[in-house]
Amino acid sequence: MTRDKRDEWYPVAIAAMLPPARGRDTLLLGEPIRVRAGDSGPQVETAEGRALPVTIAYGHVWTCLGTPGDLFPIPEAAQPGRRLVDVGMVRVKCSPLRAVENFLDIAHFPFVHTDILGSEPHTEVYRYDVRIRDEVDEVWATKVRFYQPQAAKSAEGGIETEYMYRVPHPTCSVLYKTSPPMPGEWDVIALFVQPLTEELCDVWPWMALYDDASSMAEMIQFQQMIFLQDRSILENQIPRRLPLDPGMESPTRADLTSIAYRRWLKRRGYTYGAQLVAA
Amino acid sequence: MSVSWTPVALTPDLPPGGAVPVRAPWGELVVWRSATGRLSCFPERCPHRGMRLSHGFVRGEMISCIYHGWRYDTAGQCRKIPAHPDLEPPAAIRVHSYPVAEAGGLIWIAKTLPESAPPETGAEPLRSLVIASPASAVTEAAGVVPGVPGPVSLPDLAAPLILALQDMGEETAVHALITPADSAARIAASRALEAFRRAVEAEEIAA
Repeated sequence: MTRDKRDEWYPVAIAAMLPPARGRDTLLLGEPIRVRAGDSGPQVETAEGRALPVTIAYGHVWTCLGTPGDLFPIPEAAQPGRRLVDVGMVRVKCSPLRAVENFLDIAHFPFVHTDILGSEPHTEVYRYDVRIRDEVDEVWATKVRFYQPQAAKSAEGGIETEYMYRVPHPTCSVLYKTSPPMPGEWDVIALFVQPLTEELCDVWPWMALYDDASSMAEMIQFQQMIFLQDRSILENQIPRRLPLDPGMESPTRADLTSIAYRRWLKRRGYTYGAQLVAA
Repeated sequence: MSVSWTPVALTPDLPPGGAVPVRAPWGELVVWRSATGRLSCFPERCPHRGMRLSHGFVRGEMISCIYHGWRYDTAGQCRKIPAHPDLEPPAAIRVHSYPVAEAGGLIWIAKTLPESAPPETGAEPLRSLVIASPASAVTEAAGVVPGVPGPVSLPDLAAPLILALQDMGEETAVHALITPADSAARIAASRALEAFRRAVEAEEIAA
């Protein structure tokens, strides 16, 4: 199913922290837009003053330059007992697609998030399942397992964490991982990426966690630390855009999720932030 | 005149276990030195996910990519993929290895192996610095061309410095060497180089 990139919803602000009346100037798919608090909620408009559609979901304000459909569901957002965490925005000089792909990757944990999300010698990525669920048009990776020294702020020691990854939107991903205090439940961590240009993005992580012990500030700090470690990678990949053509990079079995993500992007015709011809 | 070897660093600036990024005329590269002192020069991007190898770390005789820990030996062959510890990496997973040499206190690279060795300088490494001007402007001010180290007299210095220019497009790296001198003379030479850099950059702005 192909869909125009302008018809997707994109995150542009935290709903609980709207810019003042004057607004905040930002970009969406290279177009200048302004986000501000209006009398009856958030307003987003183009440079010419055209009002854009707005919706609020998962703690964020979303907008669309074209004709929006439904935003993807995250049913866990409504489950009682979860703490919903607006982590804040991190600007990254990389393709929005590179930011999502890195989020889907576990093999980097021991090297980039050393002694937190991974540690040597526990580097092996076991077999997991990946498929494109045609009925919902989403990429899903399941039965992903990884040994983690400190899986979350709430973790007290090393555990083997199980993950599920989901890509319901070209620039958004949702992961489900074993909740350290409630091993039978999944913590939910999402990455909502606002494409400013093809090589620059604002990343808005959001979480729905089972954690009654940590303060909001501690949970935010933990996730920001993780994401800033990722940023040091994302800003140093060559090329800046995500290569969709096979041959430019050498994936292995551990990269099945990213292979499926790239294939899914191609199939949808979503190439904003992609490099199509090997340079 | 053909320039075959390109000077990219002074010897002391790349100790064993170090890796530095290099901008060559034909692309971005990494030059690294193994624990036993062997120099290697590869394309900067790890073929797995395009991460800069100069951000990686040297372990023994291999360089390890910081992203996923893929390890390459001094010839560029991938020897280890930590996500699959039991897998012998296929021979096809390798990076190109460019000629690299050390002579006259400088580290040199080339796209293909030149017929002759890089030149000696007869001097000791002083420091490298980057001038925000194209090599043509530095050549005009200094009288030496990229790739061929030569003596350059700077104001207030008793003896000329040996300068090796590295053309990096909009910018030029200057690798400076000095005939044996005490620390006061080295500091004076370093300051004279800074003044030279400012003068070249100012000339560039005026022009």
